[in-house]
Amino acid sequence: MREKKILIVDDEPDIRNVFQKALSRAGYTVSSAASGTDALEILKTEQILVMFFDLNMPEMDGLELCRRVRKDLPTALIYAVTGYASRFQLTDFQEAGFDNFYSKPIGLALLRSVADAAFGQMEGRTGRTPGPC
Amino acid sequence: MKILVADDDLTSRAVLTAVLSKWGFDVRTVADGPAALEEVSEPDSPKLVVLDRMMPGLDGLEVCRRLREGETSMPRYIIMVTTLGSSGDVVDGLTAGADDYPFNNDELAARIRVGRRVIGLQDNAVEREGLNGVVEMAGALCHELNQPLQVISSTAELLLMDLEQDAPCFQEVQTIERHAARLGDITQKIMAITDYKTRDYLTGTIVDIHGLNEEGTPDLSHGQDGRP
Repeated sequence: MREKKILIVDDEPDIRNVFQKALSRAGYTVSSAASGTDALEILKTEQILVMFFDLNMPEMDGLELCRRVRKDLPTALIYAVTGYASRFQLTDFQEAGFDNFYSKPIGLALLRSVADAAFGQMEGRTGRTPGPC
Repeated sequence: MKILVADDDLTSRAVLTAVLSKWGFDVRTVADGPAALEEVSEPDSPKLVVLDRMMPGLDGLEVCRRLREGETSMPRYIIMVTTLGSSGDVVDGLTAGADDYPFNNDELAARIRVGRRVIGLQDNAVEREGLNGVVEMAGALCHELNQPLQVISSTAELLLMDLEQDAPCFQEVQTIERHAARLGDITQKIMAITDYKTRDYLTGTIVDIHGLNEEGTPDLSHGQDGRP
């Protein structure tokens, strides 16, 4: 079965840790980065098309990171997961190129179902049937 | 509403007290300038002030100037009354900081009503500003709380996946997870108030977050159904 890779970007180590554990248990291969810069480095070497970005990060925020990633990966599925959702307008997320956004705290079941649906969508695009996660 | 009448003439004070009380004012009276300044230095002192221009000790102009000097965010509404009615007198009064300088009793009555309206509007504005500040602070706090809440609820969820249902601490972890989720609901509701519904919900002094329906969180609920 083809490896299903996910990238988590969040400056809070404990959040990276719990998201990574939850998604790993669901069968995904999870990379994580503490900053936008680290995330871009990872994406240079790894082919990852499903991502969860925190928004409120030092140096490069999630919106900016999404804009940059979008340039190279127009077909990636990128989701914002933020404690600051209400500070942004829907158009902010759309303009940056997010496919959707979720408010923290997000339940792990929801996080997994978003990942499942994302890979389902990917497989659908490429004509492959969704594999078990 | 409280009103201060500073006039050295006993009859004037009595007449004004009678009329203003009838209009529903809580009337304070003083007979000279120093007493007027002392009265307004009290906490919660009258915001509406009727000053006689000619008083012993400190005259109305001087009292008016000192009142304006000592003012902070919430200005008083000061009406100067006098028998002196030349253009120069009016200019002196207004320059000293008076809001109005009525020439006769009818005009005084009208000016007092204006003053009451202005003070009422100022009170409302200050109250609303204060509430907005509190609600905004609550919103900012919620944003900060969401990070640790995420860690707590997710850690509890991960533990529950590992634990057998009959494990000794299963129920306790379930309780942690449930209450973390409740806190999450509360922060979402508060943020919805602060960012979308502030005005709608600030009709009184109570913001009832539990009274918010799901429509109160339009953008937050977007995407929460798990369908990207």
